[in-house]
This record gives sequence, C-alpha cells and structure tokens, in this order.
Amino acid sequence: MTFVQAMLLAVLQGVSELFPVSSLGHTILVPALLHWSVNRRDPTFLAFVVVLHLGTAIALVIFYRREWIALVRALVKSIAKGRLSDDRDERIAWLLVVGTIPVGILGVYLESPVRNLFGSAAYAAIFLMINALIMFAGEFFRRRQHEDRNRRYKRLEKMTWFQSVGVGLAQSLALLPGISRSGASIVAGLGVDLDHEDAARYSFLLATPVIGAAALLETPRLWTGGHVVPLQALVGGILAGIAAYVSVAFLTKYFERNDLRPFGWYCLIFGALCLGLALKGVIT
Amino acid sequence: MRIVALVLAIICFIIAICYAVGVIGWFADPAHKHHISHFVLFVVLGVLALVWMRFAGERAAG
Repeated sequence: MTFVQAMLLAVLQGVSELFPVSSLGHTILVPALLHWSVNRRDPTFLAFVVVLHLGTAIALVIFYRREWIALVRALVKSIAKGRLSDDRDERIAWLLVVGTIPVGILGVYLESPVRNLFGSAAYAAIFLMINALIMFAGEFFRRRQHEDRNRRYKRLEKMTWFQSVGVGLAQSLALLPGISRSGASIVAGLGVDLDHEDAARYSFLLATPVIGAAALLETPRLWTGGHVVPLQALVGGILAGIAAYVSVAFLTKYFERNDLRPFGWYCLIFGALCLGLALKGVIT
Repeated sequence: MRIVALVLAIICFIIAICYAVGVIGWFADPAHKHHISHFVLFVVLGVLALVWMRFAGERAAG
C-alpha cells in the first residue's frame, strides 16, 4: 500500500465509520474497485487499521467531550452512592453501559469468524444493499408511527434498559461487512421512539467505547509483527480523526432536520453496482 | 439478588483468568494460546456484576 493509498483509506475510514454506510464494507469495496493490492489479513494492514480506529475514537471523545465528562462523573457518582437516581446524565451513562454489553460479547466471539466468512466484495455488496433496506424500513415505520398516527417521540433518558439492549444488539449487526453500525443503531433508536437527533447522538455515544475498546485491544498488533510505518500510521490516524470529527459535526446537524433515506439510496446503488462487478469477476 | 451478582462476578473472573492463562479457549482463535480480548471481556463483565451487587445491596438495605 502506497502512502497516498494509505491516506485515502484513512479519510475513507474516518468518514464511513460514522456515516451510516458501513466502514467495513467500504474498506473492502473501495480498494477492490481501485485495484489496490490490500491484503486485509496482513499484520501491517491490521496494525494500520488499529491506528485509524484510535483516531476515530479520539475524535468522537473530543467532539462529545462535555457530554462524556458529565456522563463519567454521573457514573462514578452513582457507583459511589450505590444507587440509581433520576439524574439525566446518570441514566444515559448506564443506558450506554447496558447497550455496550451485547456488542462487546458478540464482537469478541463473532468478529473473527464473521470476517472470515463474509470478507469478500460480493458479500459486502449484498450486505450494503441489505443495509439500505434496513434504513428504508426504519424510516417507513417511523413515519407510519409518528406522522400518520401522531405518536410522540421520547427523550433519550426515557429509554428502558431492554430498549437499550435492543439498540446495542442492532449495533452488533455491523459485524457483517456492509451493515453500518450507526445506521443499524439509529434505525433501532427510531424503533424505540427516539427522534433522529437523539437516535444519532445515542448511536455516536454508543459507538465510542466500542471503537475505542476494539482499537485498544488490537494495539499490541502495533508491536507484534505489525511493521507499521510510523509516519504513515501517525498521519493516517490524524487524518481519520479529522475526517471523523467533521463527519460527526455534519451528521449531528444533518439529523436535526433530515432522515436516513439519502444514505439508503447511496448504499442501494453503490451495493448493486459493486455486486454486478463482483458477479462479473471484475472485483473480488 | 446480591448473592446472585456475587456468584456471577466470581464466575466471570474465573473464566477471565482461564482465558488469560490458556486453560480454556472456547470459541477463540486457536492460533493464540492467551486470549486477551476474552480475558478483558470477562473482567469487565465481572466488574459490572460487582456494581450490580452494590446497587442491589443498597436497594435491599433501603
């Protein structure tokens, strides 16, 4: 992988990690389309991806820094008190903990087998199209409930523990290359009556510990046979972080007034195009 | 509830240690002997079980 390819991949990772279009799917499909010789099982490439994830997680923490400080404070306070109160930050902090448990367990057990089973471009393209259908279905049912039947949206802190586990489980679908972590969790958030703004905020907050923990757990790869080029990794991590920061800033504004459908159309068209090319043997 | 949480925490910590030293390798990559991510997962679950124990104890006392 050349320096320019690595930097383009870093920007792609930073953007697609937060846009509901699947970063894993794009890091399979885009290099395949551009005929880059990227071996996804190569220790050097895996070590480079670790740095990109760290950059993305740091960007998310910086963007939501005030919120994270308040949430961690509330969490520590509730543990010290030994009971749960009605405090909003405390409630959201524990909802995030509860929502992270399913994806933590499933991620540790299923990530490697799923990656080995569905790591081809054809599968990524198919799942990208399924990702589009998930977003269309989410928007369809949200409109039916809220615009046709005037059901009211609920605030984030009013979610139940079971609903939080449900959103966390939906996030686990992103283990499949082509299914977006943020897309699945935003749709699940809409399904439990959150509005787009709260569903997206909860999705990005929920993604932070998952991306950060996954990156930290993989950090030993940087020293054990990773052979990652330090300058390439450093610049790549910073670029991924900047791309992620700009993306989350854009998306939080975007979801104040807009919905998931444009991303759905993009995933459907791009997925169909890639599937066609994969079936013709142009990409593998 | 406190006792259930405590037992759960102990089980999680035992499983974590077993993964770390390589005594068990259930659903883990056979290429590695020490399964660090599984170890970390069960340590975190054990800590959460202890937090649950603390909350359950407080409620029962209250």
